Amino acid sequence: MRTGRTPWAMALTSAVAIASLAACSSDAGGEASGKQVLRVVSLLPGSEQAAFDAFDARVAAFEDANPDIDVQQEEYEWEATTFASQLAGGTLPDVFEIPLTDARTLIENGQLADLNDQFEQLDYAGEFNENLLEAGRGEDGHVYAIPAKSIYGVALHYNRALFEQAGLDPDQPPTTWEEVRAYAKQIKDATGVAGYGMMASGSTGGWQLTAATYSRGGVVQEADGESYESTIDNDATRAHLEMLRAMRWEDDSLLADSTLAWDTINQAFAAGQVAMYTNGSDVYNSLVETFGVTGEDYGLTAMPLEGEDAGALVGGTLAAVGAQADDATKEAAVKWIDFFYLQNLVEEEQAVENAKVRAENGQAVGTPVLPIFSREQYDEALGWVEEYINVPLDQMSGYTDVAFDQPVIGEPTRATQEIYALLSTPVQAVITDQGADIDELLQTADTQAQDLLDQE
Amino acid sequence: MRRRGLPRRQRTGGLSTFLFALPLLVVFGVFAWLPIGRSLIMSFQETNLLTTSWVGLDNFRAVFADPRLVTAIVNTGWFALLALVFGYPLPLVAAVLMSEVRRRKGLYSALAYLPVVVPPVVAVLLWRFFYDPRPEGVFNTLLGAVGIDPLPWLQSATWAMPSLVLEATWAAAGGTMIIYLAALTSVPPELYDAAEVDGASIWRKVWHVTLPQLRGVLLITFILQIIGTAQVFLEPYLFTNGGPADATLTVLLLIYRYAFGQSLGADYGQATALSLLLAAFLAVLSLIYFRLTRNWSAT
Amino acid sequence: MTTTDPMPTSSTAAPAAVAALPAAAVPGASPPRERPARRGRRRAERAPEEQRGAVSALEWRRTSVRFGLRGAHLLLLALLIVWGIGPLVLLVKFAVTPTQDILRTPLAWFPNGFAWENLTEAWTDVRISHYFLNSVLLALGAWVCQIVVATTGGYVLSVLRPRYAKALNWAVLATLFIPAVVLLVPLYLTILRPPVGPSLLNSYWAVWLPAGASAFNVVLVARFFDSLPREVFEAARVDGAGSFRLFWSIVLPMSKPILGVVSVFAVIASWKDFLWPLLVLPNPDLQPLSVRLPALQATTDLGVLMAALAISTIIPVLVFLLAQRLFLRGAGLGGAVKG
Repeated sequence: MRTGRTPWAMALTSAVAIASLAACSSDAGGEASGKQVLRVVSLLPGSEQAAFDAFDARVAAFEDANPDIDVQQEEYEWEATTFASQLAGGTLPDVFEIPLTDARTLIENGQLADLNDQFEQLDYAGEFNENLLEAGRGEDGHVYAIPAKSIYGVALHYNRALFEQAGLDPDQPPTTWEEVRAYAKQIKDATGVAGYGMMASGSTGGWQLTAATYSRGGVVQEADGESYESTIDNDATRAHLEMLRAMRWEDDSLLADSTLAWDTINQAFAAGQVAMYTNGSDVYNSLVETFGVTGEDYGLTAMPLEGEDAGALVGGTLAAVGAQADDATKEAAVKWIDFFYLQNLVEEEQAVENAKVRAENGQAVGTPVLPIFSREQYDEALGWVEEYINVPLDQMSGYTDVAFDQPVIGEPTRATQEIYALLSTPVQAVITDQGADIDELLQTADTQAQDLLDQE
Repeated sequence: MRRRGLPRRQRTGGLSTFLFALPLLVVFGVFAWLPIGRSLIMSFQETNLLTTSWVGLDNFRAVFADPRLVTAIVNTGWFALLALVFGYPLPLVAAVLMSEVRRRKGLYSALAYLPVVVPPVVAVLLWRFFYDPRPEGVFNTLLGAVGIDPLPWLQSATWAMPSLVLEATWAAAGGTMIIYLAALTSVPPELYDAAEVDGASIWRKVWHVTLPQLRGVLLITFILQIIGTAQVFLEPYLFTNGGPADATLTVLLLIYRYAFGQSLGADYGQATALSLLLAAFLAVLSLIYFRLTRNWSAT
Repeated sequence: MTTTDPMPTSSTAAPAAVAALPAAAVPGASPPRERPARRGRRRAERAPEEQRGAVSALEWRRTSVRFGLRGAHLLLLALLIVWGIGPLVLLVKFAVTPTQDILRTPLAWFPNGFAWENLTEAWTDVRISHYFLNSVLLALGAWVCQIVVATTGGYVLSVLRPRYAKALNWAVLATLFIPAVVLLVPLYLTILRPPVGPSLLNSYWAVWLPAGASAFNVVLVARFFDSLPREVFEAARVDGAGSFRLFWSIVLPMSKPILGVVSVFAVIASWKDFLWPLLVLPNPDLQPLSVRLPALQATTDLGVLMAALAISTIIPVLVFLLAQRLFLRGAGLGGAVKG
């Protein structure tokens, strides 16, 4: 076929366009200038500049120690809504963080890389708290996800300044739910500020309701051989919902916002709009990182525990790598996990270096968490960095005095996030509807949860 | 055989024509036709992107068995109804009145249209603050000024949906009004002249001439509004995330939750199945719409 | 009513624009085909008496009618000011008010002075400037993509008319009937795993290219091309112009009005789009304002957030005020499409 000049010009243009398309879309990942590129998660989006400075300093130290690895950081917040598709699409950073409870299913689905070989190289591989490590093991006994970052127990956080304004002794935080309610009312009456806040949105409401259920001696699911039974419709959960409703509608001491999630309730607490709330014991880190909280008014105490089987809900974070990663990436990834998450717990020099950098940048050092290794190891590591500890430890003693001795209960293991989402509905209902039928709400959630459990 | 064009072009037209068609073919092929075909297939499959299996009508069964479906349909219907009540007569009255404005008509239209150009996300975040349920909240302060008790706005299953619709109406009414205004200018003046010969009053002219002349546009905006509200997402997602207690869970939000709301793998099949059901409903409306536009342009 | 638009493809532009159809679909409203509507409007300006409403000149002279209508118009104007400017004035006020004042006395007149630092903090610390640039890039790319596809496609369908034009036309038209919601999941999976090449997730192409697949634009442009006089094309061809030259030097220059409309719709739709960029751009660094603002509200001081919202609003509002006619005329020009 004879063609004029112009069609070829167009063909050329199209070809260039397609080529540039391909080029533009393929620049993610891969190796640059012979270095192994490793994409890692940095901080929550919107963190303070100082927090990023501290992180950058750690990255620089890592790259000095591993000149063949080029670390690229991405802001990251684990979100139920985007995690699954990002993982499937391979667009998560090479090393990412997942909730303890999600590891089992992800491993079963073959979505996480087998890190066993690299993990075994760590000198402290044998020293992990075995229960924790188990959460990241597959059925083949291999390690796919490594305990990292933090293991938290849910605890009660409170604003000491508001306690004082209401005539309460900030060194005597509440130890029973009755006291929580009474204090909340006293604070509301005296200061006009909501005495208590409760997460309610997405799956966070169910998460905190489960923690409250545990603290009153209940559980939301029980294993029965191979199958699981939903026990959402139980007295402990009911009692807590009744209390929340009473606080909202009789005392007017509960923050009237049913859209609060993990981040927004932190914001409200940091801004002094709520005096008490429950969240992971390590949330002080985020309060500093994101809101520049300075700590004079911060108080931390243990969850009130009531009843025979009561315990504090514990959860945690694992670091993992996507299934499609090659050996070089896995190698680099475990080096990073070792350096960034674990070394400062087991190795004095690193621990001191890390604490120094964080303290210099105004980030929290010494926030109480639960040990990833042994209790002794944890205390020893805390000793190394003593001079850098800048969190108000004496205002946290209500928690630290009992943290290692109080009974703890792991999160529900099956359909965790989905069941949390179901449990958020009754929480939202009692916050927004004075006449909410708690029995019916719990029955509905229980039926739906059982359906989910039966599908597994 | 070619229908048009000059003979000399016919021989060379093939390739160059194809090159011109290429952008359309590629973009539509990959981002319209392929996904459409894929959605038909996917609704009968279960996939977590690693493994895929055929499940027949299971996805549809699961959708119908989901207790949230009824909630979502009822909520979406409620949203649509409220949007009609709030937003349908308002722009019409304003447009009819405005069409009689003699000076500075542009100012009127610009004022009415301004909210339409505010980015929807900004509008929602701003209104979220207006809806602060405390007595110090913006709207509650205004209500207080006229002696009305504070309303819970988004913090109540009863008030949440009307609050969403109020904002949506604010954001969109200007656009509808401009359409009415344009249609009003096309009412043939002779009809008014004729009515005046019969001694009709202003009200009668509006009632018997203006409104009947607008019936086409009114019907069309009606259907467009239903189509739009059936797919409402932004407001329930950003204002309340479907809450409190699922009071603002809409069909599209449910689809979103199936597909993107689960941390351990999505239910793409179920999401597509529900999308197709919604699409079938909307397609019927669109067909009616296109028949109407065709009819009205033919007369 | 609510044109809040979940549609990922640039059929995003469609509801607004399709809504413009009826203006022309109504008898008498459609401008003569070969005459762009602009001229129709001018005519209207020149001869206002032609464009009378329900109230006659005679009635206007009656005192009761005049005062009644004037009163009603003043009331309408007052309501429109509250409706159109009220919330925006509040937004601007909040943008420079200390957070505690916004929370405690939102309607008081700066009881504790101004907080100009909200604006600088929003612009630099919260990096609104960065996300702003992202928004601009996204809009720009979506615009280019839509213009390229719509003009070349319209050219093939309307002017070149190869044998497969009819089939192509139907295939394009058919997508008009498919609500965008159906495409949400499969389109997302297509972005995740395109037929060729790596995942487009976290790439701007994932927003730009689907934006190009707007049947509405193609139809709009093709109908406009239909109305261009054939004789000009034939004359150009006789003079030896190839299809590329015909396109570039004849068809495009004659199509400025319709390209203006497509451009306005394209840019607005892109600026407003939320759900689709939220899905395909999970990396916060790449996200546009519309996606970033809701995520920021949890980590940002209220005053600074309000400043960020105000900044994001100013540009579209300014563009609207400057190009008011183009916006409001969209209805008239959109009328180029019929069924």
